[in-house]
Amino acid sequence: MTRIEITWPDEGTERVRAARGRLEQAAHALRAMSFEERLQVGRRVVESWTLPDAPWRRDLVAGWAADSTLHEETLREGLESALAAWDADRFTECARRELEAESRLLSPFDWTAIVAGGGVPMPTMLNALIPLVLGSPVLMREASNDHVTGAWLRRCLDAIDERFGRAFESLGFASTDTALDVLLEAPCVVATGSDETIRSIESRLGPQQRFVAFGHQFSIVVLGPGLAHDAARSNEAARGIALDVARWDQMGCLSPVVVYLVDFDSKDASEVTRQVANALEEISKRMPRGELEMSVSASHATERAEARMRASSDRGLLVEGADFTLVLEADAQPRPAPLHRFLRLMPVESVESLERELRPFDGHLSNVASVGFEADDAAEIQSRLSRFGVSRWTGPGRMQTPPIDWPHDGRPVFTPFARFTQRD
Amino acid sequence: MKRDEIEADLLDWMRASPWRRDDERFARLALALFRFQYEACEPYARFCRSLGRTPSEVERFEEIPAVPTGAFKEFDLCCFDPKRTIKTFRTSGTSSDRRGQLHLDTLELYEASLLSSLRETLVDDLIGTRPTMRFLAPSAEASPDSSLSHMFEILREAEGGPASEFDLRDENLDLESLEASIAHARTDDSPILLLGTSFAFVHLLDAAESSEGRSRGNPWRLPAGSRVMETGGFKGRSREVPRDVLRADLARRFALPESAVVNQYGMTELGSQFYDSTWVDPRGPRRKLAPPWTRVRFVDPATEREVAPGDVGLIVIHDLANTGSVAALQTADLGRAVRDDDGESTGFDVIGRLEGAEERGCSIATDVMLEASQGTLRT
Repeated sequence: MTRIEITWPDEGTERVRAARGRLEQAAHALRAMSFEERLQVGRRVVESWTLPDAPWRRDLVAGWAADSTLHEETLREGLESALAAWDADRFTECARRELEAESRLLSPFDWTAIVAGGGVPMPTMLNALIPLVLGSPVLMREASNDHVTGAWLRRCLDAIDERFGRAFESLGFASTDTALDVLLEAPCVVATGSDETIRSIESRLGPQQRFVAFGHQFSIVVLGPGLAHDAARSNEAARGIALDVARWDQMGCLSPVVVYLVDFDSKDASEVTRQVANALEEISKRMPRGELEMSVSASHATERAEARMRASSDRGLLVEGADFTLVLEADAQPRPAPLHRFLRLMPVESVESLERELRPFDGHLSNVASVGFEADDAAEIQSRLSRFGVSRWTGPGRMQTPPIDWPHDGRPVFTPFARFTQRD
Repeated sequence: MKRDEIEADLLDWMRASPWRRDDERFARLALALFRFQYEACEPYARFCRSLGRTPSEVERFEEIPAVPTGAFKEFDLCCFDPKRTIKTFRTSGTSSDRRGQLHLDTLELYEASLLSSLRETLVDDLIGTRPTMRFLAPSAEASPDSSLSHMFEILREAEGGPASEFDLRDENLDLESLEASIAHARTDDSPILLLGTSFAFVHLLDAAESSEGRSRGNPWRLPAGSRVMETGGFKGRSREVPRDVLRADLARRFALPESAVVNQYGMTELGSQFYDSTWVDPRGPRRKLAPPWTRVRFVDPATEREVAPGDVGLIVIHDLANTGSVAALQTADLGRAVRDDDGESTGFDVIGRLEGAEERGCSIATDVMLEASQGTLRT
């Protein structure tokens, strides 16, 4: 028998409409809960992700391992460490701190649309949970390279409180599908992606719609001269940097793409480069890099070849590992960041020159890890770089494990998703 | 062989029509040119030594070290005294960007190569007829460091008719003048050639669409035998349009068969260019044709070894027209060889750099970090 498969032209649109219909029904039960009730459910959800040996975390690791180019151990370690840094108490405290005020009432959006993106599930998990706590059902378009987190979230929410489970829907469809138009009718739209994606979505929204966008960001490490003659501290920093690079194969905006070496002579700079290389080599034994797509591999080959050319003329140093590439540059000119364990180290003379080099990236800086500075210098660096939008200062080895109440892109955690009514 | 002997041989080859592939001649000239360039260009020699591939170690042209095209931004890769430079072409960008530079001490080979390719693949049936050519690009005078403008100027001088003009002036496309020229060609029923950058064509398409309905019929319909040549990317200078969509839109707008829309693959760092086959071979598969003094190889980016025939790999080009710089270049583009039924290579496809690139969420990818910095500097 011949089997003919017929795909209705606007099937995606119909699926989104049907999901919206289900969410409208689910919204009644969600809003019948008090804020405190919803917050307690949110707390239990966070606990189900973060408590030691939480089954839902194991489930997520297994799902991702089956559907990702990342090595399973990289996934497991990345998720374990990131979720271990989340804390249910901080989640609820943060919600109360940001949302509770005598004179204000929460006025939840009818529904919230999420355009998920990226190769790291934590932002998707949090972005999905927060609107539910606020009383707004969520319709999410899966990231094209993450077919796991949406369905997993639904199962997890259902298991903890079915009123949350029913108020969450996740669908996969192409960004060119007209279904996206229906999704973008939501009164609150949350999107993660490239600046181009963000601009494209924003251009399709009306002035009354709330838009919570997480665009392109990157993170850096700044090493100070205090490390130059302290082998133990320098090695510790190198191990931390290697871990930050290896986690998620450098695929999140919290992963460092450049290490700036402030006031290092060339010998010390080479030494730090070798220490980071050794640490990456070591880490790759238990957390090998995942398979590279051809386009990424081509990008690595191009950048490696250029670095090799510079190194042959004594302009820097190239270290090519089986699972990583390190380039010690001779200057701090902006260069491409191919990710997937490709790290550049760039010398700068002083804190002033570091500020000058980073000025073009105003608004794109996310996390900064720094070590090797006297307290005064560290304070000065923070003061100079904070104006570029840095949303977190930390140390090497902790870049990919921010607390749950970290102000992503410098914004509060709950408030951007919330709508309030003033009561005089 | 000395450089002038190599160049004399190459000029003979470039001036012969039709093209004739000669593997032995290519290998001999490529190895001779490598020996010369190794001796004459110190940064290249250092690069070769770092790879352990010097002339005494290289026996086949495929082993000649290929420099990445980005190296032209950082090194003066020239094989002559810089004082003898008569022309420098620069890659596109703003004054704040690092721009790749190709220095030339002679234009003879460069121009012979570009004319040969155009005559063999785009104007083969119009040689000596002096058709009207309109260039959607700035003139060579207005943009003296643009290799594309120079190429158009040389083509205009060699084969263009008296109404051939550059229609991009002060960064504005002169649509009225272009439209009038097309109307004239239609009245004469003589073919017209439109050549330009892809983003300029996108602007033309957008303008044509927005003015649709204001005039009777299609004012952009080109007479039979006309053709379009587009080249380059978009780089934020127009909306991005996939190559096949652009081709279909151009064919529709100008009322041409798609085979009359020809893409050129070229780069400032190269002395030679590669054109789609469809004008001279409208029935065969669309592919890029390589002049006989070039070879295009495809290597696995991870191992840098040649991929199996027909597999996708990083494009490496050996272009003997680059006598004064470096002839072996590793591009940042992916492509694959196109073969006929007998397994013989008949050309190649350029797949582009980013095809299949995954969605990356909020992380800065590839050259976005660089673009972010440049974008900010421009404001």
